Amino acid sequence: MSFFIESHPIDFESLRESLASPDCGGFVFFEGRVRNHHEGRDVVGLHYEAYLELAQKEGRRLVDEVSRKFGVRAAAIHAVGDLKPGDLAVWVGAAAAHREEAFAACRELIDAIKLRVPIWKRETYTDGHGEWIEGCRCASPH
Amino acid sequence: MKPPLFGLLLAGGRSTRMGRDKASMVMGKDGLNQGQRAVQELSAFCQKIYLSLRDGQAPPEGCENLEVVRDNLGISGPMAGILAAFEREPDAAWLVMACDLPFVTPEVLAKLVQARADGANFIAYASATDGLPEPLCAIYEPGARAILQRHAERNHLCPRHIMIEERATLLELPPSSRRALENMNTPEDIAAATGEKQIHIGWFGALAEERGCREETVVTSAQTAGAFLEEFSNTHNLSGLRGHVRIAVNDEFAQPDHPLRTGDKVVFLRPFSGG
Repeated sequence: MSFFIESHPIDFESLRESLASPDCGGFVFFEGRVRNHHEGRDVVGLHYEAYLELAQKEGRRLVDEVSRKFGVRAAAIHAVGDLKPGDLAVWVGAAAAHREEAFAACRELIDAIKLRVPIWKRETYTDGHGEWIEGCRCASPH
Repeated sequence: MKPPLFGLLLAGGRSTRMGRDKASMVMGKDGLNQGQRAVQELSAFCQKIYLSLRDGQAPPEGCENLEVVRDNLGISGPMAGILAAFEREPDAAWLVMACDLPFVTPEVLAKLVQARADGANFIAYASATDGLPEPLCAIYEPGARAILQRHAERNHLCPRHIMIEERATLLELPPSSRRALENMNTPEDIAAATGEKQIHIGWFGALAEERGCREETVVTSAQTAGAFLEEFSNTHNLSGLRGHVRIAVNDEFAQPDHPLRTGDKVVFLRPFSGG
């Protein structure tokens, strides 16, 4: 249904309200939050950057694909800018008549977003040093 | 004794069709922009080179050291620049050259300079296409000043028409330089003339950090997106371009065999890490 990229903090609540529907008995959502550690290092901040024109197009295509495939109402919103541990980086929701499709669609959508939408993150560590993180290209979720 | 010959590089146009300042554009592989190339050509024949700019305009990159002549308020276009130059140096002859003539050769300028021997006030080439005078790569002797002023007072501001009316000495372009005076008004002109393309690159993430900029425009002869990536990677030391890199053309994912056209926007994409 919709895919958005917004400066942190993202407003997912209005999106959640717009997805809810009387014919949907199952509503699953996933919140991706900033973790304070990565491969043994303490993370103090994250910077997300998007190739906005393409990311919005590709994100909308993914939401449409997943909505059609599972017959659900789906939406997602991703943050860009500077985030701290605990902050909300991405919100993905799927509402369906029953929980099975809602769980499956939500899972597939967050995995696809990580893999296919041109957004990059840069981690900053306790020593002030920072690094751009390379996503894994394998299709398996982790 | 003939009056000294000064160069006047006309860079005051607004380049509206090109969409950016033509004098600052780099064409060809020598890395010189059009302004710098024109200065190089003029310097072989002129004692001194002036840069003609409109009021308030900054000099193009690489031309900051030239003495500037500002357009006279009230009129615009090349006439304004030429009259302002005569006002500055009334006793000089001017080799006037527009900054968007990338194919002018030393041979072309030499033939103009040699023709000064005839004593004409205006010396120009006849256009290879219509035979009319080409006023923006031409010599204006000091005697031309009063004639130009007279026309300007009657609001005749087209140097080509003035040259026709005043029976300028017209030369034929050297056979090897028939296209020397074709000017470049649009990115498509450049592509058609050189087979080279202007590509706008956008940089994101680790690549933007390593490259040190968010966007740049380069010239390439690569035919496809993949060939362009390979060429850029070979000519620039960017570790981020090694390994797995995808390509987007005009804000859409593209395969390596995607054909490139001039004016395309290209983004090289490292593996994503959103979520």
